[in-house]
Amino acid sequence: MLARETSSSVLLVPNAMHNRRLPRRTFLQQSGATLLGLGPLTLPQVISTRVLGATYSSPSAKDRLNIGMIGVGGMGNGHLGYMLARQSRGDLNVVAVCDVDDNRLAGAVRSTGGKATPYRDYRYLLERKDVDAVVISTPDHWHAVQTVHACESGKHVYVEKPACGTIEEGKAMIRAARENKRCVQVGSQGRSQREAFYAHQYIANGMLGKVHTVKCWHYATPSDDHPVPDSEPPRELDWDLWLGPLPWRPYNARYLHGVFRWLLESGGGQIRDRGAHVMSNALHFLGADDTGPVTIETKGRVPTRGLWDSAIEMEVTYQFKNPDWTLIWAQPGEMVPYPDRDRVKTEGIREGYGAVYYGDKDKLVVWVGDGQVYTEKKALEYQPPANGVQVPKSPRFDHHEDWFEGIKTGRKTIMNIEAGVATANLCVLGNLSLILRRKLNWDPVKREIVGDEAARRLMSRPQRYPYVL
Amino acid sequence: MNPTSPIVASAALGAFASLVRAADNSGVQALMAQIKNPDDQVRGPAWQGAGTVGAPAVLPLGEAMTDTDFEIARAARRAIEVIVRHAGRPGAESERRAVAAELVKLLDHQALPVRRHALWMLSEIGADEAVPAIARLLGDAGTREDARCALERIPGPRATEAIKAAFTVSPEDFKYALAHTLRLRGERVDGYPSRKLVPTKRTTLTE
Repeated sequence: MLARETSSSVLLVPNAMHNRRLPRRTFLQQSGATLLGLGPLTLPQVISTRVLGATYSSPSAKDRLNIGMIGVGGMGNGHLGYMLARQSRGDLNVVAVCDVDDNRLAGAVRSTGGKATPYRDYRYLLERKDVDAVVISTPDHWHAVQTVHACESGKHVYVEKPACGTIEEGKAMIRAARENKRCVQVGSQGRSQREAFYAHQYIANGMLGKVHTVKCWHYATPSDDHPVPDSEPPRELDWDLWLGPLPWRPYNARYLHGVFRWLLESGGGQIRDRGAHVMSNALHFLGADDTGPVTIETKGRVPTRGLWDSAIEMEVTYQFKNPDWTLIWAQPGEMVPYPDRDRVKTEGIREGYGAVYYGDKDKLVVWVGDGQVYTEKKALEYQPPANGVQVPKSPRFDHHEDWFEGIKTGRKTIMNIEAGVATANLCVLGNLSLILRRKLNWDPVKREIVGDEAARRLMSRPQRYPYVL
Repeated sequence: MNPTSPIVASAALGAFASLVRAADNSGVQALMAQIKNPDDQVRGPAWQGAGTVGAPAVLPLGEAMTDTDFEIARAARRAIEVIVRHAGRPGAESERRAVAAELVKLLDHQALPVRRHALWMLSEIGADEAVPAIARLLGDAGTREDARCALERIPGPRATEAIKAAFTVSPEDFKYALAHTLRLRGERVDGYPSRKLVPTKRTTLTE
């Protein structure tokens, strides 16, 4: 009866209360303040009143996780808000916060009521024996190094998406999680959302027939239309530590904050920022986390000026074999409007990205794909047969809670590190094909490029010492 | 006269080579004029289409990387990247060698950003023949870390031997980084344990 109890009208309620017409990051910066009485403090969009009001089983004081937050701006500030909300329920303790920007760090300390210890260098935080787990919300070029270091220091990890910046980084992350038996959850939270579960259930039970094509759409990556010269970094910023593994270069205001996403080295454009959500869902729904494409071919248009070098528009075609299907990432692609226009307005549905799943019997549209996921009514109302395929479901449709449960039970999380790397590899390969301007051949078993020596070298990126894997 | 005699063939090849050089020169001149154009709508397509201009453009582009207009300098830098990635395609060994040889010349450029960029470009397509020139920059405080990274990426025993040789003469603080690269390449190094987990930067905020 679950599907009926969660019919589309019922499903509207939590999001309607929290996502009104607010862009994602605006929402992240505004939500939660009232709830916690913490002024401009943030809560991530993954929190709904239903979630906060749900009957989580609070652990005893000695069993509460001690959490360290690495990176507390942007998404990190959103995660901090979530953790503080859970702390206020007695579920965990936020004991440490870390950032290379003193202003952001000071704000995070304030938001914990002065209780969390501040660090500039995350390695001080990792030295603490009382920290059980860390949330990593730094720019992409730090994800792998910090995840590996955290695992090697015995910490469980929640790391923002996309997991890795290179193919070899992804392998190192998987190895570190396995060898140190740590639970790593990657922040592609779309998989945990309620309507993602129903879309998954619908596809996995064969309602589309054999899925042969998935077409993603997403609006373009912005370009740096007002480039500025290099300059001295602001006093509050440790530029050397912001760069970390990247080759040293002078500071430029167009590197940060937030806009690191539009540089290939520290982000990689929309294909990484949102592709790590939308394509994550595609791999998840098609049971393809353990597979990969055999060819990758990208066409695109890159900026003619400015620091940001990610493609403004691009189309990547991934060809999978056994089973055969095609995944297409397209900026802008062919946007499918959400059918209920009133709902778009009242709930701020970001229909600027999503994917269409084409099977030989039917097709299904899944809108957005991150903290918001929407799908068609037929999937929401579908009830699988008793002997139907059971698909994984995050507890309370809460991505963080899925991580906590993974830590507690040792079971794999819904966006475990292997899945996170599989998704990130798609993003990496799409961008590599773009900059190399040629089709790439990929061995999905060995997870390596074949037949192209220069491309193979770009499967890794030497890192500035000592910020190495 | 037999039209296929060696003399005729040699003359024809010579004439062809002259034509190629002339085409090269004209291609380079056109590219550089566009790269230095103040309009990004001219510069942009120029650097994006630089791949086929190839090796002859590398040195002039390295020079243009020092232009006082940072957008022109950036366009030159990106043109080199496009040339390198074009030359690195499968089946273009002679182009790769030619471009790598020009990049090696840039390692002597007086501007540090040019030397650094050349090192990273050589990390993508450089081979044994580039190793000695790269290894020399391991002794330059401004470039040694980029040189180490470049050698880390270049496969083969020659790069490994160059790092080993540098390890014996480098300042103590740099030996940790060299030891890291040697271990990545499967070499055993005594001492100089990894410093990757050693914190160094305390916050100025009150803890």
